[in-house]
Formats: sequence, structure tokens, C-alpha cells
Amino acid sequence: MEKYLLRNIDNPDSAHLVEYVKAGGYKALAKALEMKPADIIGEVKNSGLRGRGGAGFPTGMKWSFAAADPKRPKYLLCNADEGEPGTFKDRPLLEKNPHLLIEGMVISGYALGAEYGYIYLRGEYPAAKDILEGALRQAHEKGYLGDNVLGKGVAFHLSVHQGAGAYICGEETALIDSLEGKRGQPRIKPPFPVNEGYLSKPTVVNNVETFANIPYIIEIGADAYSKIGSAECPGPKLYSVSGHVKKPGVYELPMGVTLREIIYVHCGGIAGDRKLKAVIPGGISTPVLPADKIDCPMDFASMPKHGSMLGSGAVMVFDETVDLVKVCLRATKFFEHESCGKCTPCREGVGWMRSILERIVKGAGTGGDIELLLEVAKNIAGKTFCPLGDGAASVVQHFIKHFRNEFEEHIEKSKVGASA
Amino acid sequence: MITVTINGKKLLLEKPVTILDAAKRAGIHIPTLCHHEILEAFGGCRLCLVEIEKVPRLQTSCTMNVTDGMVVWTETEKVVEARKAMLEFLLINHALDCPYCDKAGECDLQDLSMKYGPAAGRFAEGKRKHPESYDDPIIVRNMERCISCTRCVRMCERVQGDSAISMVNRTSKTFVEPFSGGRYNCEYCGNCLTVCPVGAIMSRLHKHTYRPWYIEKEVNTVCSYCGVGCSLTAQVRGDSIVRVVPEMEKGLNKGLLCNRGRFGYDYVTSPQRLKTPLIRKEGELQQATWSEAFAFIAQKLKEIKEKEGGSAIAGIASARCTNEDNYVFQKFLRVVLGSNNIDSVAGFAFAPAQRFFENIFGQGVTANPLHGISRSDGIFITGADPTTVNPILGLQVRGASRKRVPVVTLGHMPGLVRFATQRLVPQPLTDTAVLAALVTELIKRRPLSGEKPAFEEIIGKIPPVSLKDAEERSGIPAGEIGGCAEILSGMTNPALIIGRDSVQSSRGQENLLLLAALTYLLNGRIYLLSELPNEQGLVDMGCLPDMLPGGRPLAVESFRKRYGEFFSTEIPAAPGLSLMESIEGAKAGKIKALYIMGENVAYNVPDTAFVKEALSSLEFIVVQDIFLNETARLAHVVLPTLAWSEKEGSYTNLERRLQHVRKAVEGARSSGSMEDWRIIAEISRMLGTEMKYSDAGDILAEIAKVSPLHKGITYGDMDAGEFLWPYKGEPLRHDVSIAGIEIPEAGSLLKKPEKEALYVGIERPLFHSATQSRSSSALNSILPEPYVRLSRALAQRMSIADGDSVAVSTSAGTVELPALLDPDMPEGMVLVANNFADRGVFRVMSWRMHAATKSPVLDGMEATLRKIDRKTAEVSG
Amino acid sequence: MLNEKLVAEINRLRSKYKDARSCLLPSLYVVQREEGWITPDAMTAVGELLNVPKATVKGVATFYSMYRHKPMGRHLIQLCTNVACMLMGAESLVDLLKEKYGLTPNGTSPDGRFSLVIMECIGACGTAPAMLVDTDFHDSLNDKNILEILESYQ
Ligand SMILES: Cc1cc2nc3c(=O)[nH]c(=O)nc-3n(C[C@H](O)[C@H](O)[C@H](O)COP(=O)(O)O)c2cc1C
Ligand code: SF4
Ligand code: FES
Repeated sequence: MEKYLLRNIDNPDSAHLVEYVKAGGYKALAKALEMKPADIIGEVKNSGLRGRGGAGFPTGMKWSFAAADPKRPKYLLCNADEGEPGTFKDRPLLEKNPHLLIEGMVISGYALGAEYGYIYLRGEYPAAKDILEGALRQAHEKGYLGDNVLGKGVAFHLSVHQGAGAYICGEETALIDSLEGKRGQPRIKPPFPVNEGYLSKPTVVNNVETFANIPYIIEIGADAYSKIGSAECPGPKLYSVSGHVKKPGVYELPMGVTLREIIYVHCGGIAGDRKLKAVIPGGISTPVLPADKIDCPMDFASMPKHGSMLGSGAVMVFDETVDLVKVCLRATKFFEHESCGKCTPCREGVGWMRSILERIVKGAGTGGDIELLLEVAKNIAGKTFCPLGDGAASVVQHFIKHFRNEFEEHIEKSKVGASA
Repeated sequence: MITVTINGKKLLLEKPVTILDAAKRAGIHIPTLCHHEILEAFGGCRLCLVEIEKVPRLQTSCTMNVTDGMVVWTETEKVVEARKAMLEFLLINHALDCPYCDKAGECDLQDLSMKYGPAAGRFAEGKRKHPESYDDPIIVRNMERCISCTRCVRMCERVQGDSAISMVNRTSKTFVEPFSGGRYNCEYCGNCLTVCPVGAIMSRLHKHTYRPWYIEKEVNTVCSYCGVGCSLTAQVRGDSIVRVVPEMEKGLNKGLLCNRGRFGYDYVTSPQRLKTPLIRKEGELQQATWSEAFAFIAQKLKEIKEKEGGSAIAGIASARCTNEDNYVFQKFLRVVLGSNNIDSVAGFAFAPAQRFFENIFGQGVTANPLHGISRSDGIFITGADPTTVNPILGLQVRGASRKRVPVVTLGHMPGLVRFATQRLVPQPLTDTAVLAALVTELIKRRPLSGEKPAFEEIIGKIPPVSLKDAEERSGIPAGEIGGCAEILSGMTNPALIIGRDSVQSSRGQENLLLLAALTYLLNGRIYLLSELPNEQGLVDMGCLPDMLPGGRPLAVESFRKRYGEFFSTEIPAAPGLSLMESIEGAKAGKIKALYIMGENVAYNVPDTAFVKEALSSLEFIVVQDIFLNETARLAHVVLPTLAWSEKEGSYTNLERRLQHVRKAVEGARSSGSMEDWRIIAEISRMLGTEMKYSDAGDILAEIAKVSPLHKGITYGDMDAGEFLWPYKGEPLRHDVSIAGIEIPEAGSLLKKPEKEALYVGIERPLFHSATQSRSSSALNSILPEPYVRLSRALAQRMSIADGDSVAVSTSAGTVELPALLDPDMPEGMVLVANNFADRGVFRVMSWRMHAATKSPVLDGMEATLRKIDRKTAEVSG
Repeated sequence: MLNEKLVAEINRLRSKYKDARSCLLPSLYVVQREEGWITPDAMTAVGELLNVPKATVKGVATFYSMYRHKPMGRHLIQLCTNVACMLMGAESLVDLLKEKYGLTPNGTSPDGRFSLVIMECIGACGTAPAMLVDTDFHDSLNDKNILEILESYQ
């Protein structure tokens, strides 16, 4: 497949406006400004684009809700918090192709009637901040941003807002609270951001990659776009692959490519040609899959049918040498560290799971520990305020579901150790 | 219409409410922890999860609204299991030190654990450690018990508007903390204590002194601190108040209190309380019996009355005494002693302001319910900071501001800095110019309604003041003043909140006229701030030199006659002397005897030295009080009386709401102290006038006959709920009386200080009010010392740091105080409070009385400031 | 207290937003850059500038893991140990830092040169393990190159 999102990636100056324009950039913007906003929204709807942030919500539908709300001003927020462990797909867009994001956001802003946009960039990407700000300056100078975009009387102002180390701020309502200078905790919904978001005004939050798809849709049209990849959720997709593969990295492939193809074809197979043990297909919050379950098409619609989720498309590959109980513990530590503290089950329960896992890994596990873990996970699952807690519970549940024997081995060993 | 079914019960609702509220209406209780009825929904504790048919996940009933056709189950196995799970989670990091915790017995978590279990948690690792914090004088913070429901923080941020505490950190390391990490340094409203469902935030005042089940009696009464008159419940064990709490449904304060109301009640048990009558013998006050004291007083008063006439006797009533006390007091002066010389501190500002506005707009114009403030579409405030003078009224303003109601403040109001849409902070002595400019601008923007042509004529004669001139005087940019006029002109029925400083000013008359004009132009509702609990009662009971009970002017013959006939006597027609005039009269020898009931004039009236000198030249002074205060020390006879919590009666608050004050404890009664009215009745009897009252109810019954306004009232009326103006009585009806209104000259509106100088004004600290608070050890533990508030810029220029000792000197005297730096103050002002044992502002105020309002004039007092270098002071001393 | 230059910088940032409070996180970054950590005085001053109560500022500042609440060493090492980095040996790097510099997580080396903070995923999983030193990104770390890299920070 021809690359679109990463087409310029090998050019060392790809972040520069001149290079971007040379490669055909900002043409879509010019085209979009000739269209009616409602038609752009219609195009995005017809394209079948689903948000690339993890939840896979249809972008066009989200936009039409915001467009229908008469309140003004409207805000456009880019979710560049990329906090899901294993995920590093937005980073090349931010660092190497910032103008694609900017172009996507200007088009979106015009379509939605939003005059102000912010890119909520995770604090862990300081380099991206400088690159983005440089790109914004260039775009402003050349009239792609500002009070009168391309002389068409459309205003759009865009700036970067840096997060400060909180995974939960990737959740869109927490992101909005954080942008408002608050503790980034999720809000009660409804009202939804499309009606009452930033400063209580209609707000659209989309992922970096989602915005990066917009110029493409405008360029080739919804019809052509919807023919890329899976029928149910089409388009190009960035997969970030890490762990024990020969060639880890970010891959632009059509939606619906199988996990096996990603690992064995694009990434060259398992490092050292060892055996594959397990894969987390969509970032750490998505259910782990054992080696024999990797023939699944990687898109939002198919993955649930195969026992997991597409999430952010972050594929983490574990070879046969990996102690998955340790992985499970490390993942749980992550959720404990990132629990915003708002709701009881996540705040208290995830730490509890961590302490049980810790004693299992340390060799102090006891017979009832696996059941207790499952019990705690069950008491968290479905009862938390936001999906973070669910994610934490699901990690424990799925590691035990597929690799219970490894947990048992640890406990068995500790029994032996104790009696010796 | 919405139909919901909860646990099989069908419910019809007009509009969507939360599932929790709907269940409540159906009589179904869903357990909650983070939810609180006066706070916004949070949805964090997850205890209120319920099952909804066709919805896969359990949902929190506190956050989700019902929809038509919804079928909800609140006690299914799944729900109960979830509830148990949440409780087990909560207990992971909860101290479980219930036997030692003051909250035991009224702890939501304890109760819920009792009900749902589990008996023992399965969490095996160590709990979070967090030593109990005793860094604060009032609040003990125990974060091992905190369940992160955030109720206290939401209360502090969203309702109180203080934002003194916050949740810090995240994850299970989250806890509540004030900025310093130790001391709260907050407004000490204690409203966080009301909402904490566990023992994480507890009052230090009664730590380990009681168990909830020790409380023997709960008495619903009214706070004795300020003119708002919050409802509160005194919880009593034996003969002492264990704790004061508010109730969610009761009173105008609906569950909220301020620091004084909640913690300040302990002045009544101060060891300094007077216990026996005292009589001056050989220059010293010495213990005496009641009969000695009565006989002595009766004899002296009789002598003076016979020799000099009733007009040589003056009485000072009390804004802290009940209506019943004050009614009997004025009757004593008028009927028994034949004197109209009766006044109180209400005569300084509250009464003259009310009279001025009533002359124009009619009686009752200030009788506006408090909740109208947060429901209005705009607020204008001047003359004092409502958040410190009348804190619960102040919360109404903050609440309005949170709802984006525009709030314009004129004058420095520290408690509203973050809440005002526009703050106008003029240089000293120039607020009149700003007011005049606002009126001038509004006349241009808002047409006159034609409703009161006589007043409109007067408004038309007010000399216009340009924005430019106002800017030149006040130092506030013309654009800002104009902007405020613009904001004001958009209001349709705003609240106008007026404090004492507008009246106690050399331009008090001008200010009142301008404020009346503003009220008229904006169709506003007036709220008069009132520092004391019963200033309105003083007015309504006739404790004024020219006013009879029911707000009936003495000057009107028919009123005078009716009142006189009631007691078969003739009331002198000439108005009596005001409080300040009486003191001047004492100095001049015109007044021979002063009878003071519960007022500390030697401290509470400007120019302490002058007042003391005047009092010392009197032939006879009687003081009734609960303390041997500065005035009592100068008296010839001192009589110990009962305090607020020890007697029955009523107060009238600033909304003119009549409220029942109820006896909670016997207190000083057991050592022989009496109600103020009882003492007076006894002396009257000895002077030949029977006052047959066996209890306060008898007095109220008489008031109900004498005062047309209070026709037929009973305590039952007050207890039944909102007893608001005009009760069941007859308000005075009259036409706009404009005869007395003087049209100011442009010069007086534009007055500004002749030379650039520093001026001293009054600070009203939140933690003290008048002087009774200085006997509260609780309030003293929060703020033990007076201070001088000065602008940060001025302090920087003089190298004064926070807490440095500073001498404030005027022609009247000098006080030494620690400095408190304020970034928002105008530079030309320093403020000193008058609520402490010594070093009060009235020691540095000179004796000036406004000729028309009879108010003390407190503006324009020049001062100098000197930083005191402790080291050199020590060396030289 | 904030000097005039910082106040001006914060006011400039503030102009990007419709309300003052939105500028809180950026302002905290400014003071952290200047002082190395978020001092109580800085929280007070920023709060005053943006009209946010200081306790609220503290609540916000302590929520985010990238704000420091005590003085740091001259250079801050933010090392990721999340799953991808763990798989590629991040844990042994933590041991190495302890051995070489006496650094423990959330601690500062005795010579005041480095402080170490363990990070959750920093988005370098494909080139794990990775770290940030101050604001510089370094990835594909191993026992050897990490020391070489750190030697350039004095
Ligand atoms: C705990 C949590 C973390 C999230 N983190 C991110 C993130 O880092 N980046 C992101 O784009 N979306 C993230 N999301 C999803 C967002 O809430 C939101 O769905 C997304 O920004 C919408 O954009 P999209 O429709 O373009 O995907 C997260 C959601 C949750 C619940
Ligand atoms: S599940 Fe609860 S505590 Fe966890 S991040 Fe979401 S809201 Fe916060
Ligand atoms: S009461 Fe509903 S979540 Fe706490």
C-alpha cells in the first residue's frame, strides 16, 4: 500500500513547511475551503473514518453533534497525549509530519465552525513541542492559520498545550479538565464534550492520527477512502510494534491487516527466531492474546470478535522467554500509578491487585491468590467511573485466563521455597 | 411526564431527576458516600450503583437521570455484591480505629459496613500511613480515615468559595490538604465538618469529649453573632453545649454556618463571665447582693429624675439582646423614666440608612429575603465586605458569581476579590465621586420609570459627575467606571448590598441619596448589612430617640398618644438624644445618668479616650452585661445578665425575619444572673411601675398589642417556619417623604483629600465580630491578635514584611500592631479592627458626629505609619 | 516570587487562552524550568497571577507526575521501565544507575548531579529502553551507551 500518513517520513526535513508543500501538502485545505462545512462533515461521515485514539468512535457522527449545537465559540482539541503503553504511533506524525496534523485540524475547524484549537501534547514529548510550535509559526506566516486562512475569511487559531504526566488525561473529558488547569479527572457524562466541553462550550476531541486522515479524505474523496482496508472501518492505520520482533517500529498499513501479517511479514518475525508466546494487540489496556490467536484482522470491528480490541493499534510481542506474570505485574503497576484517584474501585482495587501480584512474583504467593485476584478484578470491572479501571481489571483477567499456568507455577515454586 | 419504576414501585415525575432523588421520593434509600444534597454530583464512591433493565453495566444513581420508562432495581444480588465490594475497597486504606474515633456512632462508613459487611477484609498488606495532623487550632485532619469522597473539598471550593483545601496527589495516595500542609489558614466555616462522612476531618474543640450518643438534648435556635441569624442546633449534655451544628433543611442558612456561629458559642462559658452584681464603693467595684443593687439603682434614678427630669437620663440598648429585652428597655426609659434618650449602635448606620430609604420607598424596603441575592441578575455592593460582616449572606454573593451573575464591588472587599466581575477600589474619601458618576451614567442609560415623580425630581437635581472627574478623584480609570455602569444597566432586579462604611462617612448623606437613586434607577432590592444579631429588632422595638415600637415615628401625635395611652402616661414629644449625643451630653453635664444594657460604649464608640472621659463625668452609670467590660469598669453598678444560650426571646434579622431564640442551658442562671428584661422589670417595680412579666412570652404578647407591626405574633408563628415581613401586622404606609432630603452640591460629591495622606479605616475580621468574640477561646485560637491591614505596595516601600510590628498613629492616639499585607488594597489606606481586648481602631479615631445622620464619621482620619524595630526598641527600652 | 521576566512570559502564554486558569499547567512549567521544582512560593505567585486559589494550584501541581515537589539534581533522568522497556532490559539500567551514581528512584545522587525518576511509557517502545535527560530524548539504551550518554551531562 502506498503510504499516506507517513509518506514523507524518510525526508530528514519532512517537518518543514516547504517540504510538506512540495509533497502536495495543504492542497486539501485549499480544496476544503471551497466546500461547504456541512459537506465536509458529510464527506467525513461517508468515509467511514473511525477515531484512532482507541475507542473507534465514528468521527463524522461526533462532528455532526458538535456542529448541531448552537453555542459559541466551539473548540477543537487534538488528543496528542499518546499515553497508552506500547503506543508511539502519533509521535512520528507530531515530529516528522506536523503540517499534516495542522492541515487536518484547520479543515476540521472550518467544518465545525471552531475558531480555536489546542493540541494537548503529552509532557513526555518535549521535542515534539518545539517541532510543532515551529510548524505552527510557519503555517501562521504562510496564512494557513490565523484570522484569515488562505484569504478565505475563515479564522483558525491553533496552539500547543503541554500535559504534565498523567495517562488519564488521554481520556477526553479528563483532557478537557486538564486543559482548563484542573486536576485531570474524567467528568460525568452527559453532558458530552460535543455540547459542553472546554469552558462549557461545544468541543470536539480527536486523536492526532484521526486528524491526519482528514486531508486524505478530502483529497481522494470519501468513496475512494472507504475502499481502503476493512469495509467496516476503512482507511490507513498506524500500528506501533514493540517487543520481541526483528523490526519494531511504526507501520502504516490498511485497516484489517492481520496480527500475524504485522508480526511475521512487516516486522520480520520474532527476534532470534524464538517462539512467540503472547501478543498484546492494541496497547496495554487491550486483552492479551496467546500465540495461536493472531490470525485476527486488526480493526475496531473485528478484534472484539477475536477476544481483544484494536485500541491504539499498539502491538506488543512477547517471545517464549518472557515471564508473563511479571508483565502482568508491571502493567498493573502502571494502572495503579495512573489511577486518577476519583473512584473507589480503581483507586483502591488496582493497588490491591498489584500487591497480590507482587507477592506472587516475589515468591510469597499462596493458594487462594489467583482466585482472590480474579475476585478483585471482577469487583473493579464494570464499576469504575471511566474505562481506565476496566482496563486494569481486564489485564489481570486476561493474563490469568490465557496463562493461568504461569501464575500457578510461581505459586507452586513459592510453596516449594517455603517448605525447603 | 416521566414514568419510572423503582423496585417495582411506579413513579410519575414532571422533570428528570437523578435516579437517587427519584428513589428518595419513592421512599427507597440508596446508600451513598460521595453524594451530598448541597453539593454537585461527583460519582466517585460508586456505592450508589443500581441495576437498570436493558443497561448492561451497573450505573451510579447519583449521576444518572431517570428517563421515561426506565426500570430500576436497587437491591438485586448484583447491586448488593457491588456495594459490598466498594466497602471492602474503602476499608483497604481506612484506619478502622473506630473505638478511638469521635465519628463513631454517626459515621456513614461505619453504618454501611454494619449493614453490608464484609466482616473482615481480605486485604493483607499494610495500610497507608498518615499521622493525624494537629497543626491547626480548630481542625484535626486524619487522612488515614479519608475515603476520598471529596465532599469537603467540593464544599470548600464550590459552596464556601474559600478553596483553602484541595485533593493532592493521585491514586491511593490522594488525600485532602490545606496549602500549608498543616494549618488551614482558611475561613474556618467548618462546613467541611458537616459533610465529612467519616472521621477524617474533625473539630479539635471537642475532640474526645463526647460521643454522639451522649447528647441529651438538641435545641434549635438562632446564632447570636450577626444580623443574618442562621438557624443552628445546640447539642447539649448536662448543662453545657457540646457542639453546634446546622441542619440541611432548617433556616435561611440551609446547612451552612460561618466560623463564629459554629465555633464561637463558647464565650457563654467563659470563666470571665460576671457572677454577682457589683457596686462601686470607695472607688472600687465590690460584690453586692441583688437586692442591694436594685435598691441602690432605684434610689439613684429616682433622685436624678426628680432633680433633673427624665431628660437627664439616657439609655443605651443592645443589638445583642432580644426583642423582648429591648422592648422592655425602651418602655423603661419612656414610661418609667420619662426619657426619649434611647439609642444603640444600630443608630450609627443601620437605622439611619433604613430610615433614609424608607422615607423614599416606604417601610419594609430593606426586608428582602436572603436567597433573593443568589437568584438576582446582578449584584452591587458597597460599604463593607459582606463575606466578613455577614458571612452567610456573603455566600449568596459568591454563589451568584459562580452562576455568572455579574457582581460589582465598590471599595476593597478581600473576600470577594475572586468573585467580583468588576472591582472598583477608589482612593480614600472618593467613593462618593464614583457612586455619583455611576448614577450620572445610569441616568443616561436607563429611563426613569415615572413611578415616584417626587423622587425623580430629586434625582434630576443631583449634580452630574463625569467619568473623567471620577477618575481624577478616585484613581480608577474612567473606562472601568463606565464599564461598571454598563454592567449595572443590564440588570433588571439586582441586589444592592450596603454596608456601614457608606453611612459612617463625612458624606454619609450624599452616599445614601446616591444609593437610593441607584436603587430606583436599577429597580434594585436593598440589603443592609448588619454586624449584630438584632439591629433590626432595636429599630422595630423603638429603641431609637425618635421612633416608637413598630417603626412608628414619635413625631406623629397619634402614634405617641396611642402608645402613651397604652401605659396611661404621656410620652414627651421631643425626640431624645442619640447615642453620640448622649455621650456629648454627659461630657457637657446635660446627661447625669446613663443606663446601659449590653453595650460596651467605652470600647465600641470612636475615640475611646473621649468616651471614657465623658462617662467619667456622669453622676450615675448602670451597666448590665455578661462581662466586666471596659464600660462596666466605669460603672457605679454592674449587673450580671444571661447570655444568648441561657434565655428565651426573639431576634429580627436583616431581612426583618423574626426568629425564636431558645434557651439551651441554664448556665449563669444557676448562679443568679437574670434576663435583662427581668432586671429592668424589677427596678421599674421599685420605681413604682409594675411590669408583670413571668417570662419572655408575656413580653411578646404585649409587643403584639403595642406594636401595630407585630400584631398578634407568637413564638409559634416563628417556629412554624419563615416568619417574614410584614408578619401579620400593619406596615406604616406613607408617601415619599422628601422634605428632609438635601440636594448635595457638586463640590461635596467630588470631595477628595486636600493633601495626599494615609488614612485609617475599620477592618472587619471574619473571625471576630463586635467584642463578644474576644471571649471565645475558639475564635481566639484562630485569630488571637489584632493586626493592621496595609497594601503590599506600601509595605514594600516601607520595608515592612508580613507580621512586622507597625505603629499606627493619629491625632487621637497610637496603636501597635503586626502588619498583614494585602495585594489588593489601595495604597492610601490602612485598616485596623476593633474586636480585641486592646489596640482597637477606635483608640485612634477622633470624636466626629455627622450632623444629619448622627453617625460617627470614620473616614478622613489621617494616620502615620512607623515600622517598629524590635531590636532598637529593646535597646532603648 | 516571580521576577518581571517570568510574569511577562506567563502573561504571554496566558494570551493563548480564553480564561486565565487554562494557563496554569504552562505556568507551572515555567516556574519549574526556572527553579528546578515547584516551590510553595511559586504556587502562591502563579495562583495570584491567574486568580486561582493557591491550595487549588497545589492540588493541580501534585496531580501530574512531571512536576517536581522538591529540589532536583542538576540533571533529571526520566527512565522508562514500562513493559516494552522492561522487556528490553530497563530494570538492569536502574540497577546500573544505582551502582554507578548512587541513584535510586525519586532520589538524587550524593553529588547533586543527577536525579532519577521512573517513567511510565514515554513512547519509545520500538527503540526501548529509553529515557529523557532533561528535555533530551535517548533510546536504544544498553549498559554501555547509557553511561556514555550520561557522561555528557556534568
Ligand atoms: C484512560 C484512557 C486513556 C486514553 N488515552 C488516549 C490517548 O492517549 N490518546 C488518544 O487519542 N485517545 C485516548 N483515549 C481516548 C479518548 O478518550 C478519546 O476517545 C479520543 O481522544 C477521541 O479521539 P478519536 O475519536 O479521534 O479517537 C483514552 C481513553 C481512556 C479511557
Ligand atoms: S477508573 Fe476511576 S480512579 Fe480510575 S482513572 Fe477512571 S475515574 Fe479515575
Ligand atoms: S454516591 Fe453515587 S458514586 Fe458516590
